[in-house]
Parts: sequence; structure tokens; C-alpha cells
Amino acid sequence: MTTMRQSTLETLGLGTVHGIFQKGKLPVTTSELVDQVFGPANNRGAMVISGANGIVGAGKMMQLGSRLHPYGVTMVGLDFPSAPDGIGRQYAGLKAAFGQGGAESIMSNVVRLNYDGKALPSRLADFRPRFLLEAIPEILEIKRAHYQVFRSTFKDIEIRSVTSGFPSSELGVGIAHPAFPHEINKLWEVVEPKPSPSTQLLWSLGLLPVPVSDNWSFVLDVLFCGLTLSALRWHRASNMPYWKIDKYVRRSFGPNPFRAHDAIGAKGANFLTWSCLHHLSGKYGPLFAPTPELEYLKESGQNWYPLDHFRPLVNWSMTAGDEEQFQSWVLGPILQMTSLLLKEKRGHLSHINAIGEICAQFRSGVLAMIRRMGAEAAIKRVEAYHRLHPEAAKGCWYPDEFRKISEPAWQQLYVNAEHDGKVGVITIGREAYNSDVDAELNRAIDWLKAAKIDRVIVTGDFHFSSQMVGADTAEFYPALDDVKCGTDVSAGWSATARRLHRDFAVSVAYINGKRCLGGMLELMMHCRYLVAHKDATLGMPEVTLPVIPGMEGCHWPLRKVAAEQRPRLLRMLLTGESVKASDASGWLVDYAGSMDDAIKAVWEIASGTSKIKERTVADGAFDVPMEVQLPAASNGSEAGRSAIAECIKKSCAVPLGEAITIQARLSGQFMAGKHCREGRIGADAAKTLAV
Amino acid sequence: MKQTATIYPRARIPYGTWGSSYFPAWQTSPLAEVNIGQFAGEAMNRIMGLRRVPVHELEYLVIGSTIPWHWKFWTAPMVASCMNHRIPGFHVEQACATGLQAVMVAGAQVEAGGQDVVGVLTFDRTSDSPVGVFPERRAHQRTYALSDVWDNFGFDPATGKAMIGCAGNAARKYKIDRKEIDELTLHRYDQYYNARKSGLLDKVLVPLELLNVQGKPMGVIDEDLGVRRLTLDAIRQMRELDTCVTPGSQTHASDGMATLLVTSPEKARQLSPRPEINIQFVAKAEARTYPSLMPEAPSLAVQNLLKRTGLTMADMVVVKNHNPFSVNDAVFAKMLNYDWHKMNNTGCPLVWGHPQGPTLTRVMIEAFEEAVSVGGGYVLIFWCAAGDVGIAAAFHVGDGGNKS
Repeated sequence: MTTMRQSTLETLGLGTVHGIFQKGKLPVTTSELVDQVFGPANNRGAMVISGANGIVGAGKMMQLGSRLHPYGVTMVGLDFPSAPDGIGRQYAGLKAAFGQGGAESIMSNVVRLNYDGKALPSRLADFRPRFLLEAIPEILEIKRAHYQVFRSTFKDIEIRSVTSGFPSSELGVGIAHPAFPHEINKLWEVVEPKPSPSTQLLWSLGLLPVPVSDNWSFVLDVLFCGLTLSALRWHRASNMPYWKIDKYVRRSFGPNPFRAHDAIGAKGANFLTWSCLHHLSGKYGPLFAPTPELEYLKESGQNWYPLDHFRPLVNWSMTAGDEEQFQSWVLGPILQMTSLLLKEKRGHLSHINAIGEICAQFRSGVLAMIRRMGAEAAIKRVEAYHRLHPEAAKGCWYPDEFRKISEPAWQQLYVNAEHDGKVGVITIGREAYNSDVDAELNRAIDWLKAAKIDRVIVTGDFHFSSQMVGADTAEFYPALDDVKCGTDVSAGWSATARRLHRDFAVSVAYINGKRCLGGMLELMMHCRYLVAHKDATLGMPEVTLPVIPGMEGCHWPLRKVAAEQRPRLLRMLLTGESVKASDASGWLVDYAGSMDDAIKAVWEIASGTSKIKERTVADGAFDVPMEVQLPAASNGSEAGRSAIAECIKKSCAVPLGEAITIQARLSGQFMAGKHCREGRIGADAAKTLAV
Repeated sequence: MKQTATIYPRARIPYGTWGSSYFPAWQTSPLAEVNIGQFAGEAMNRIMGLRRVPVHELEYLVIGSTIPWHWKFWTAPMVASCMNHRIPGFHVEQACATGLQAVMVAGAQVEAGGQDVVGVLTFDRTSDSPVGVFPERRAHQRTYALSDVWDNFGFDPATGKAMIGCAGNAARKYKIDRKEIDELTLHRYDQYYNARKSGLLDKVLVPLELLNVQGKPMGVIDEDLGVRRLTLDAIRQMRELDTCVTPGSQTHASDGMATLLVTSPEKARQLSPRPEINIQFVAKAEARTYPSLMPEAPSLAVQNLLKRTGLTMADMVVVKNHNPFSVNDAVFAKMLNYDWHKMNNTGCPLVWGHPQGPTLTRVMIEAFEEAVSVGGGYVLIFWCAAGDVGIAAAFHVGDGGNKS
């Protein structure tokens, strides 16, 4: 097996994606892992969450409880009798997600026990605790004593701490550190000597365990607390109020660090941020030293944003010189901290990058950001920061880490490729398609071509991309004011998609996640075969934004079907309605089945043993009658619908070779038009970019 | 240059760490709609940011305002919170003298050694001034409603007379004639517009954009709204409201804020963009004259100040009078035998209005900028305040060795 870079699955001890197809099944099953972690069904033990009424404990009680419920794992919540009811507050969310019946069923499996923090309740033993997820306050001595109490009572219990700062070596237990919001964020940073069944179980339950090294504070906390600290330093340098800094940080990088603290709950979040930075500064020095403002707000528990009756009155703006300083104050430390994460090999580079995007709202992961800047520009930015804050230059600065930027681990943050000499696999580890993915996909194709691989499977990475949501619409913001920009994006991405068809004798796309929408579906449709998990939702929701599908969605799928099947595609395109993969076989997908069946079908196609015939792409021009019954649309959708209909007609009315240009031109024109600017993308752009 | 003692040897006003909003006339700008205390706090934070003074350097805040505002009870601590900076402080007021009295209090605070960096923040909103409802069992109305700005201007309880009457009284006492007042008024407007044109006021005035509760722009305060160029003919044709008092020769109500710092010498050098400029307090004198003769009170205070310090008018490189009426300047010229053409060179409250609390703070800042522009020296500022009070203060602006 040859790989461009290490598969992220391998970090979980789950092999490669190529291996999944070759073996025709997933590397582990949930049932096996539940048995390993909680014991066999006839002697199933319980999961205990201590601090169960806290923000983390209650959130994880719901996230894990809903997933483990079908396997008969009792969820025991342990907390002080005086703790406010955090678990009960989760019920509304459960009901929204699972319906009343589902929510009641999940809650019926939750047992709540009180304790005094010293001795465990005697009844706890009745539930045979096998796994403790500790979510109690961030005080090292208390945590250690807590583990001792459990171990003295339940000798073989496996323990994980959700700590956001203490290393495993200090705690004496493994770490499973989840990201906010805890009910829905699937990512867990895991610290353990080697991938354990409990970590693999998280993966099998559809969560995102990410192994990281054992250091003070984990990747998310370094990045997020680091960003908060950087923003605070800018505040100290400029007086700019927190609410305004948030706007500039959001425009530049994505997150609103101060608002996030208030949203999480300032009292707890301020303490955690302070605690993280306090410990980091103790180990690494002034780069991480909390500012007095943070010290104060940690003590007071006050919000960062003003109270409603003091909504900001005086606006702030920045000159070009101010913006330059802002970048150095805010971006400089983040880059320096990232050099530390790299130096300490805190995790797989794709993990470090993805954590920022998935958990800290970075529009582009921190490594992808550095890659776009270029190593030398990033180094110069840190040096500019050091001129403003000389104390930070005294340590923890490893510029040579950035000089490794051309290595495959840096170059393939989102897209990987593997091959066995005959069949290649391209995996996409980002849910939304953007220019980084596009560039990496091209490099992956080049890499396979160089190895003379002409059979390829294109799929998600079975790790980060549990779904494929379409194009990253943030990439379209510049196109709102520039037809050429939109046209170039459409033409460029379409050209990449065409390579999946043109550059391989056999190409099979496999949609393994919950959904595949918009640009991602357009990309996957370019493969010669399209296979999907039967429950996957497929759709082209562009009309609802509105925007014209820019990666040949307006003609490519129509060229692959007989005329009588085109109305189904037209309906998808013109209404944005989605379809289950199991209902789309023969006209949108070539095969839909269960996970194991679909994996096998993909491998058979890729290895040339399948009887499924390739649907060819009609090269010539043809007319598409638009006589299809459609429900009424809103004004914006109606405009989008008309534009998409026009694009369908015009791009189908020319040979395949010309269609790409027409689709790109019409897509670019529409993006720069009134309806797109007034639609969701325009609104998102305004919200993101307006300061 | 004559040497004098200084009342606060440890206190300095760091050059360039100051600023004022423009003063839009009452009811002409979004300032009419805001909590002026909150606005002042946020505006000071902004101005300090523009001046590269981190607000966390501030250790204490003296605020000055005269018109009640929402949550005034909480005074300086509340206003400081609007700067995201929790420091102690308190509130002072003396009608139109508030700005300079606040600076004096800050000087005393530094002199006492309690703090090294004291912020002075003065502000007022005359627009929509609040109405106080006072139970008055001894008044026939039993309950008395008082519009803070206009009812107070219209009635001095000590004399039973309106403010405007004192200007007419002083004009008559000193035999000021209308022709001189009209020329003086025109000259003051010319001075203001010349100062604007020269760019000197750009070092003082800071445009501020206001947001509504949705965070959307509500307008930019970037003009002394209500100020318009006048011609001599237009001034001459104005109706006389009292002797020598016309709409052109009296000030108008306005809204705004102004701020500066008072610090130790070390902090002044650290915080000022031009640390070589040394601004020190020299002296202050006060006087109270006969009922309803307020415009002569400042001149009496100046006479006291000169006598106490040994300085003469010839020693002053900048002379600024807070002049709600042109009569004030004319009376001063007569009493001190001083050419009114030589004073108020960068404009004055007669022209740019009268938001009460911050008025004198802006006068001071303009005076210091003017002094620096001429190479330093003594600065004389004097003013009147409600109750027929006059106050004068002298400062010394060293230019870092070019002229001492």
C-alpha cells in the first residue's frame, strides 16, 4: 500500500480507506466495540459521567446516551445534590432531534445519582460501571482523588477525563476532551498510549475522535484560548472594545472569540480559558500569559459583551496601518503557537488543521491558512508580532516547522490518496469543497497518474467527512462583486471535476455519509460511476440560496440519463428538493445499498469485476424540455430557478466541450447579480465581512 | 520668560493625549438620542485609542457634567465601565466651569500622589434635557417640574433673574456699544473658520460614528452643527434681545464631550507623542461679582490671578475666554486694557456652542495646541459660571527647550 500521507484513520488504529474497500467492510463494528468496552450483552456495564449536570457532562450524556441506547448501555449521571439540573435541560433538544418517543426512551436509560464528592453511592455498583467519563471542575487534586475513589471501588473501570488543560501524565488517566457545543460537536481530542476500543467506539458511533499528544492543553484550547489571548492583546494595544474586535477577527479568520465565551457561559468559559493559558504560560512562558482583563473576568464571571442597555454607541474603524498591526497582534501569536503544536507533534497535521475549522470556527484551518500565506510570509508575520511584543520572542518559536510546508502532510491536509498499484483511492476529508480541496484534489490525481493508476475510488475519508455538504460558499464572497472571479471559480472547479472522468479508465465515487449536496454531488457525479449508501440524502439545493450550480450540475447529470429520466433531475435542480439514494438508483446513482454492500459494489467496479454498466456522458447538444410541474417558489428562488433553467437549456444545447464555459459564465454572472447578493450568500458575506 | 511657582508641581497634562467631539447644536445630531454618559465613556476610549494611550494606563477618572443623565447616580465608575476599564473616580460639576474644575481636581489627585494617571472626561447633552420633579411643600405649586437646561437659564434663584439679563447689565455698566460687539462677533467667527482651515482643530476634534441599538450606523458627529458663517451685515441686522445681546452674539446650547489626562511627569513622558512638551498648572483664582453681572466676574478673577502670580497679560502667549456672550470679551478688554483681537484665536464657545460640561475642556485643549503651535509659554484661560462667578487659570506650556 502506498499513500500520499498517513490516513487519519490509521491514527485510530483502523487502517486505511483503501483497506476498507479491499476487505469489503468497515474495520470494526459498533457491537463488537460495545462488547469490549461495556461487556457482553448479558452482562452489560454502564457508562458513568461525573459532573453530569455541568455543560460538558450533560451535553455528553445526551450525545453518548442517544448513541449507546440501542446497545443497552445504561448511562449513569453523577453529581452533587445541589447541582442545577443540566440533564433535564437537554430534554428539549433530544425531543427536537428524536421526537418525543425517542427522547423519552433515551432519557429512560439515564440514571441520576447524587454523591458528596467523596464516597460513591452504594447503588452505583448495581449498574456495573465499566467506563467513567469525568467532567468535574478543573482542579488537579480533586480530579486525582476522584479517580482514586472510583478505582478503589471498581478496579477495572476505564477512565477518561474531559479536561481541557491537564495532561494525561498529570491526571493519571486517559483523556477524551470534547469540543463545544457538547450536545452536537462530534470532535473529541483523545490522549492515550495507543488507540483504545473506547476511542474506536466513538468513531464507530459516528463521532470524531482525534488522537493528540500528551501536553498541557490540547490543540483546540491552544488555538481558541490563544486566539482569545491574541485578541485581548490587541485590545490592550488599541483600546478596541471586545465586540468590535470580534467583528475584525471574524472577518479575518472566522471565529468570534469573545462572543463565544458569552455563548458558552462566560463564568465557566472565562475560567477555562484562563486556566488553559495560565498552565500554558507556566510551561511555555509569556507567549501564553493571560492579560489582566482575563484575570478580572475570570474572577467576576462577567460577560465580554456589554449588557443590552449598554449596546455599543461609538463605532470603531481601522486605518490600513491599524489593520497591519491588528494582523500582527492577532495572527502573529496564533502562527507562533501553531509552530509549537507542530514542533511538539501534537497530532496529525490534518487533525490540527481540522480542529480549528470544526471546533473553533476558523474559516480555513490554521495550517491551510499558513499554506496560503506561504512559509516566509508567516514567519515575517510572527517576527512583526515580536517587534510589538518582544516578550513573546523569548521562546516557543519554531519557524523551521513552517519551512516543511512542501511536505505531503502539509500539502494534503484535506485530500489523501492511496493505491495498491492497481486501484487508487482518493479521500476527501472536508465536508465543504473549497479552493484548498480543489488544489489538493488535483495534486492527488497527479500523484495517482504519476503512479500509472487508472482505476480510482473517490470518497469521504471515513473520519472527518461524515457528510458532504457542497461548496464552501465563503469562497463565493469575492464573486459577489466580480463576475470574472465567479466564472473562474466555476470553470476551475469544473475542470478538476472533469479530471475524475477524463483521467481515469474507471472512476467510482462513493457517498458513504449522511448526505451529499450541491458542489460535492456535482464533483462526485463526474466519476464514471456513482455509488451511495442507501440512506444518503442527495440534493442540489443551489436554487434556494440562490446560485447556479457551478460545477456542471446543469448539464452533466442530464447527459448521463435518457430523456424520460431528465424531469427528475430538473425537479431536483429547480426546486432544491433532495432524494434518498435508494430512490435514485439508475438515474442519479448507479448503485445504492447498505454500507457493506455498497463498499463491496465499489470495489467490484474499481477492480473490474462488477456487472454494473457505465452510463456514458452524451457528448453532443440536445434540447431539454422544461415541462415539469414545480411547486411555487419564493422571489429569490424564482429568480434562481429561472437562471438555472436558462443555464440548463444553454449548456445542454452545445457539445460537452463548450458546456463548461457556458455554465461557468452564467454561474459567474448570476453570483455577481442582485438575487445572489440579496440571497443567503450575500447575507452571509455581509455578516462575515462587514465590520 | 518669567518664572512662577506651580500649584501642582507633580501634575502634568501630557501633550496630545486629548480630544473632543465636535459640538453639534442641540437637537441637530444623533447625540440628542443617546445616554451621554455612555457615549462619553466610549468616546474617551476611542480617542485614547487614536492617541495610542491604552486605557488600562488610567488609574482614576474624574468626570464632569451638569445636566442629569440616565444612571448618573453611578457617576465615574459607570462611565469607566463603558471604556471596559474598572477604575474608581467621581463626578464634579460647576455649571460652565465644570471642565476646568475637573482638570484642577485631577491635578490635585495626582499631586496628592494617589494616582499617576487620571482621566478627565467632561460631557453634557443639552438636547432633550431632563425634567426634574421636585416636591416643594413651601411652594404654592406643591410639586415643581423643572426643565434642567432652560428653566435654569431662565431663572437664577439667588437673584430671580434670567441668565441673558446679566449680559445686558454688564454691557450697560461698561458702556459697550453694539457696533463693537458686532465686529467682535464677526471676528470670533473668522477666527473659528481660520482655525478650521489651518488644520489646528483637527488635532483637537475627533469625528465619532454613532450606532443605534441594532448596531447600524446612526450618523457621524463630524461637524459643529449649527455654526454658520456670518457677515457683518447679517450680524448688524439681528434683533437685539437685550443691550448688545443678539442671537449672533450669544452662544447656543449643544451636545458633546471632551477629555484629557493629568499625570505624573514620568507618565506624561511615557504617554505623550511629544514627551518634550511639558504642560504644567500655574495658578487658579476665583471671584464672585454683584448680582446679575456675570460677564465681569472672569475679569475680576484674572486680575486676582495676575496679582497673585506676578504675571502680566504681556506674559501670556495664549488667552482664551469662555464667552457665552460677546459682551464678556468686550468687558474683559476694557477691564484689562487688552485687545480682544488677540484672544480666542482658534474659536470659542460663543461660536461653537455651549454643551456646559465639556466646554472648558475643549477651550483648554485648543489653548494648549495653540500654545504649542507658537512655541510654548503661558496660557491664560478664564470663564464665567452660573451665580455670577468668574474663574481664571494659568498654565505653562514648555516646548521642550525651544522656548521656556
